[in-house]
Amino acid sequence: MMLSVSNLSKSFNRRSVLTDITFEIGDGETVVFMGKNGAGKSTLLRILSRIMACDQGAITFQNHDLLKGMPTARKNLLYLGHATGMYSALSAVENLSLALQLRGSSTSRETIFEALKQNGLFNQKDDPIAIYSQGMLQRLKLTYAELAQWSLLLMDEPFSGLDDDGIQQMHQILMHWKSEGKSLCLVLHDADKAALYGDRILRIEHGVIMEP
Amino acid sequence: MFFILLKKELYNEFRSRELILSMLVFGLSIILAYAFTSDVSRVIVANYAPGMFWAMILFVTVLGVHRSFSYEKEMDAFSMLIAAPIDRGLIYLSKCISGFIFLTVMEIIVVMPFFKFLLIDFPPNPLMAVGTALLINLAIMAVASLISGIAMRARLSEVLLPVLMFPLVSPVIIAATKISGGIMAGDPYQLWQIWLLIIGSIIVIFGLVGYTLFDFITEE
Amino acid sequence: MAGLLLFNVWNIVTNTPMVPDQHWAQKIFYVHVPSAWVGFLSYLVVMIAGIMFFIKGDDKWDDVGLAAAEIGTLFMALVLITGPIWATPIWGKPWIWEPRLTTTLILFLIYIGYFMMRSFGGHIERIRRYAAAVGIIAFVDVPIIFVSVQFWAPEIQSHPQVEMAQQPSGILNPFLLSLGIFTILYVLMMRYRIHVIRIINKGVENV
Repeated sequence: MMLSVSNLSKSFNRRSVLTDITFEIGDGETVVFMGKNGAGKSTLLRILSRIMACDQGAITFQNHDLLKGMPTARKNLLYLGHATGMYSALSAVENLSLALQLRGSSTSRETIFEALKQNGLFNQKDDPIAIYSQGMLQRLKLTYAELAQWSLLLMDEPFSGLDDDGIQQMHQILMHWKSEGKSLCLVLHDADKAALYGDRILRIEHGVIMEP
Repeated sequence: MFFILLKKELYNEFRSRELILSMLVFGLSIILAYAFTSDVSRVIVANYAPGMFWAMILFVTVLGVHRSFSYEKEMDAFSMLIAAPIDRGLIYLSKCISGFIFLTVMEIIVVMPFFKFLLIDFPPNPLMAVGTALLINLAIMAVASLISGIAMRARLSEVLLPVLMFPLVSPVIIAATKISGGIMAGDPYQLWQIWLLIIGSIIVIFGLVGYTLFDFITEE
Repeated sequence: MAGLLLFNVWNIVTNTPMVPDQHWAQKIFYVHVPSAWVGFLSYLVVMIAGIMFFIKGDDKWDDVGLAAAEIGTLFMALVLITGPIWATPIWGKPWIWEPRLTTTLILFLIYIGYFMMRSFGGHIERIRRYAAAVGIIAFVDVPIIFVSVQFWAPEIQSHPQVEMAQQPSGILNPFLLSLGIFTILYVLMMRYRIHVIRIINKGVENV
């Protein structure tokens, strides 16, 4: 079992956002979360990646207690949110090598250059990412996910802000990851895409996982 | 891992220069205000100078640490930092040490105008003054980084930060004023060594508390 | 409890010897010192509750911490009010930077920040963690503040408690009684306040 979540609850100012969330993600499985805005999908992903604290519940990731265990328990977990999650003053290369070093993997500059070239960011690689467009930032996140070591990826709306080329590229890389047997946990709005990528689709409404 | 985090702080500052620059300009304007408001005999100013200097540093520190934590929130960079499989206490230590470096750089630049504008003589033992100032900077940053880490996610963090920090940091300010006053007056080391002890214990205690607490307070 | 308090006041007024030089002003000492004791005890409870909150992650420890912070600040305010009342006739001025009084003032200010944070710092689930952290930091800072204030103005050492050692022995028993009654009062107030906080929390949840 890759990830198992049991009885997870979270509220903001005593207003419940997530209630008794229980689900599992198997090895190599892709789980897609769907639901209206404000249903709690993004909150759930942020809690799973230990960015946000939860009020109750337990999370087990690769047989490690994610909430109470050592920081290294989340080594093979990667979160990509709405925002870029990188430093606006630093360049793409600096941001990538920093983010990868923090995850404990040493990646050579050549590898980073190569990945940036494939994602069409090589010419702007030394500019501060503050001047990047929305689509370029999305590509940067994708480059990060390609370079990083992980076995479960939590990704919040992977297709937002991408042009047609970018959507095509994202599609290919998602399919590639699926074929490699990696586990994915995605938040999507489009029902067709959800059916395409998801081995299992979970609907969240008012902070509760609906029965299919 | 700590050095990667420290490198990140220094790189960010090297690229944007916003932290040291804003601290520096604010410090200079405080000195200007001092010069206008303390138009009294040089003897009086010289006696007050240590207190004035550290009060200025206190205000400047608030600006610095607030900036140091608010740039983390741009583009949600902090989420990448705390989701990484690292000991979060190291984030506190890196903030502490980088803040210490920035504050020291800022002081080096600001110390000359401070003495010259306020028409004070340099201390008889400059090396001693520099050495103790370094320790005091570290103590201020140990407290300020911890409080800033707590306040950063709260609403009105720019209000909460000084309100919580000033009373907590008061022992450091008392000690700093006494040490610098002693050095300015050329007092022997024995007269103010107790204050160094207090500064040292603050660095150790707040360093440990901050390192431990940061794991709990960094999450959203 | 009310009877106990009334008895305490009666006991202080009638059964304690008058101290030469100080006359009636000295009586406030039976309120001042127990208030300070309860205040510091309460802030210690805030710290313990904060540590327990981080270890257990249970909201009930936050209720304890909040109740202790409120009551502690109330008694600290009492200390800061009764101190100058005593000092005005004895020292001739309302405020002297006496170490204990200064430490109390600094702690009081830290806790004003604490309550500011609780009231407008953001949503309660997050603020609970921050409040626990501030509670721990505040009490850890107490010894440092105390020592530094003591060395800051070494010429100021005159304090009721120090002087009491040389005073007639008739003072000790009523003082200890008052201390005990204040402590009982504190325990009762804590239990009551925690109860009220829980009711308020439940009420807000059901809205």
